[in-house]
Amino acid sequence: MRLLGQLALLGLLLAAPIFSYADSRISAYALMSPSNQAMQNDMNLNPAMFWIMDGEALWADRNNPSNKACVDCHRDAKQSMKGVSATFPKRVQGKLLNLEGQINQCRTTRQQLPTLAYESKPLLALSTLIAYQSRGLAIAASRDSALEPDLQKGKLLYFQRMGQLNLSCAQCHDERAGLKLAGSVIPQAHPTGYPIYRLEWQNVGSLQRRLRNCMSGVRAEQYAYGSLELSQIELYLMQRANGMRIESPAVRP
Amino acid sequence: MSRSSRAVITLPKTAKRGEVFEIRAIVQHEMESGFRHTEQGVRVARDIIREFVCTYNGKEVFRSELHPGIGSNPLFIFYAKAEQSGSLEFKWTGDDNYLTIVKQTITVL
Repeated sequence: MRLLGQLALLGLLLAAPIFSYADSRISAYALMSPSNQAMQNDMNLNPAMFWIMDGEALWADRNNPSNKACVDCHRDAKQSMKGVSATFPKRVQGKLLNLEGQINQCRTTRQQLPTLAYESKPLLALSTLIAYQSRGLAIAASRDSALEPDLQKGKLLYFQRMGQLNLSCAQCHDERAGLKLAGSVIPQAHPTGYPIYRLEWQNVGSLQRRLRNCMSGVRAEQYAYGSLELSQIELYLMQRANGMRIESPAVRP
Repeated sequence: MSRSSRAVITLPKTAKRGEVFEIRAIVQHEMESGFRHTEQGVRVARDIIREFVCTYNGKEVFRSELHPGIGSNPLFIFYAKAEQSGSLEFKWTGDDNYLTIVKQTITVL
């Protein structure tokens, strides 16, 4: 009988997915005040709407050496970009790219334009426009086996202590999620809403800005914008949040 | 030459005479306070909206002065009483020749 029980337990363990948070995962949306939630839900109140509108203008902008706008290849973003942000980061021509990296790759190869700087208005406008098309869809992290080394590295970085405070991501966002850091509840760190309009920033910001923000918080040297390490952490976080609903552009306090 | 920016107005297309309706007006603006410095220590010049006025068929229904402590992309939610069909004008004025004017119509039944 006991052996049978052990076998059943073993079976359960084997059947469990690698990320077995399924039931306890919550978006930081649930931690916000009703007024902030309303600001996120109602696109007439969500300030990120302005970035979407700017993004729509850029989508049709042919002012580049190739005389090609995004719309010329991708047509209507509302159709073609549906679900796209849900699958990044992924490997494109052997290189790990997040959404911002993919936008810049398109710009340099198709439009012969220089790359846009991270957190610059035009890049945030385009990434917000694209991410908005996946609002309400589930995160569908890439299952590409070629991503395995990046995924493992991202996981390693997530559990690695860093900085003068010697803290890892996991120590706050896994072990202490739901407890408080100063006055704020520590979220589980699921990247469901990026790019986000953060009230503290008074601006839209990317997931990498948020990651760098945490790194400076633990007094660690920040990985550079667009670095492989940040994309690997992004990849791990997206796998960890696989199946959760995308809220982009989310509002956060 | 004045500077302008995007604004989004939310109000009902129609209202009954005497009905009080909600108006939401959000405008894209950085509201740079003038108290911040760059990493090089240079002070960033103040650049804020100074005033927001809403008129309904030429009659002022809402006015607000804005100050450096107000956050970016300011949102106003206020109410007006439906009297006659016509237009509402929303006007934001600010530093450095900033001027944004948006007009919306409403039909009073």
